[in-house]
Amino acid sequence: MSAPALPARYRVTSSQAETHDTVTLGLQPVDQPIASHQPGQFTMLYAFGVGEVPISISGAPAGGSLIQTIRAVGAVTEALCSAAPGQMLGVRGPYGTDWGVASAAGRDLLVVAGGIGLAPLRPAVLAALAARERYRRVSILIGARSPEELVFAGELQAWRDGGAKVQVTVDRAAAGWTGHVGVVTQLIDAADIDAAATTALVCGPEVMMRLTARALQACGIAPQHIRVSMERNMRCGIAECGHCQIGPLLLCRDGPIIDYVRAAPLLAVREL
Amino acid sequence: MSGVSPSALAEHAFLQGLPAEHTTRIAEAATAVSAPAGYRFFEEGGTAGQFWLIRSGHVALDLHLPGRPPLIVETIGAGSLIGLSWVAPPQEWQYGAQAIQPTTAFELDGAAVLALCDSDPVLGYQLSRRLLTVAAERPHATRIRMADLYAAPRRRVGTS
Repeated sequence: MSAPALPARYRVTSSQAETHDTVTLGLQPVDQPIASHQPGQFTMLYAFGVGEVPISISGAPAGGSLIQTIRAVGAVTEALCSAAPGQMLGVRGPYGTDWGVASAAGRDLLVVAGGIGLAPLRPAVLAALAARERYRRVSILIGARSPEELVFAGELQAWRDGGAKVQVTVDRAAAGWTGHVGVVTQLIDAADIDAAATTALVCGPEVMMRLTARALQACGIAPQHIRVSMERNMRCGIAECGHCQIGPLLLCRDGPIIDYVRAAPLLAVREL
Repeated sequence: MSGVSPSALAEHAFLQGLPAEHTTRIAEAATAVSAPAGYRFFEEGGTAGQFWLIRSGHVALDLHLPGRPPLIVETIGAGSLIGLSWVAPPQEWQYGAQAIQPTTAFELDGAAVLALCDSDPVLGYQLSRRLLTVAAERPHATRIRMADLYAAPRRRVGTS
């Protein structure tokens, strides 16, 4: 059964600034909540009177409440980022495919995030850490523009304490930064990867995902064990309008999470 | 005698796959070093006469900017090397290098390594290939960062 196409009313319960342009909102249903989500799925968030955009869910399922992380890049996302506690938003969903974290049980889980790409991966990380014994090594490699633009920076130690190996690299840093400076693929080069037993989850800008997938394949990880999150202009969320078509896929239904077997030819096409 | 065992040297990613007789000769030009966090391997502008194969820890390459704090250009970790400026004239460090974690490394004397390469072209070819790989990878990584992949998308009419 399709998720309803009408937005449910949610009230903003919290607003946490992640960076200068990125905010994490806590949302509580006013009426009937939307269905429970899986890590990697998204909702259509509606700023009443402004517009509606697809936003990844960045929190673990928790009753009817939602955690969503938004970067202000236009009028709608700016309205969402400035939504104060108490304000009402519309929510449709959850939509799309998920990371399939449970299917990686018994294997190494390698999470590679670039920039705000960590937001849709966060529920996968939380799911893996909540059932840590089901997985072998859990490694999280994060690339960011600068230390100041790292999202969920305050949680990384808790993830380490929960049994994950977390490494961060930034594109540029001033003296005093004691982490890595470089591209996220350099963390892969230095990682101890058991290619035959690793499932990789990758989210970030498309160029970053392409380079990351290339590095992972160079390590020996098969493309069917590399999952990426693709984004296009989702509008309806229910595969009716065609705005998010990429090749043979309607990403709001067939994505956003797809394996690299399907993603590789699409990422290689210009203007697609 | 440098005290560096050829077998330990052969385990470093940079030298993996070299025949034992080559690592034995390179070991004669190598010294095992360990540096605390904050130790400065070299300063920008200084004379470049050696390189280091990082075994553990983490080193920042930095650039001094007038009126601004030093900029970390890149960090280098275990399995890689710091110091390429000794290879070609003017043998002057282009960046500074500072340990940001306790770091262990094999320090190799550049003049001695060049002499080895001159006396044994097969060894020279093998080392040249490895140095070329490092020299090719570094600008590739830099170019990707120059693309500023994580910047906010440029605003267009209709951007939501």
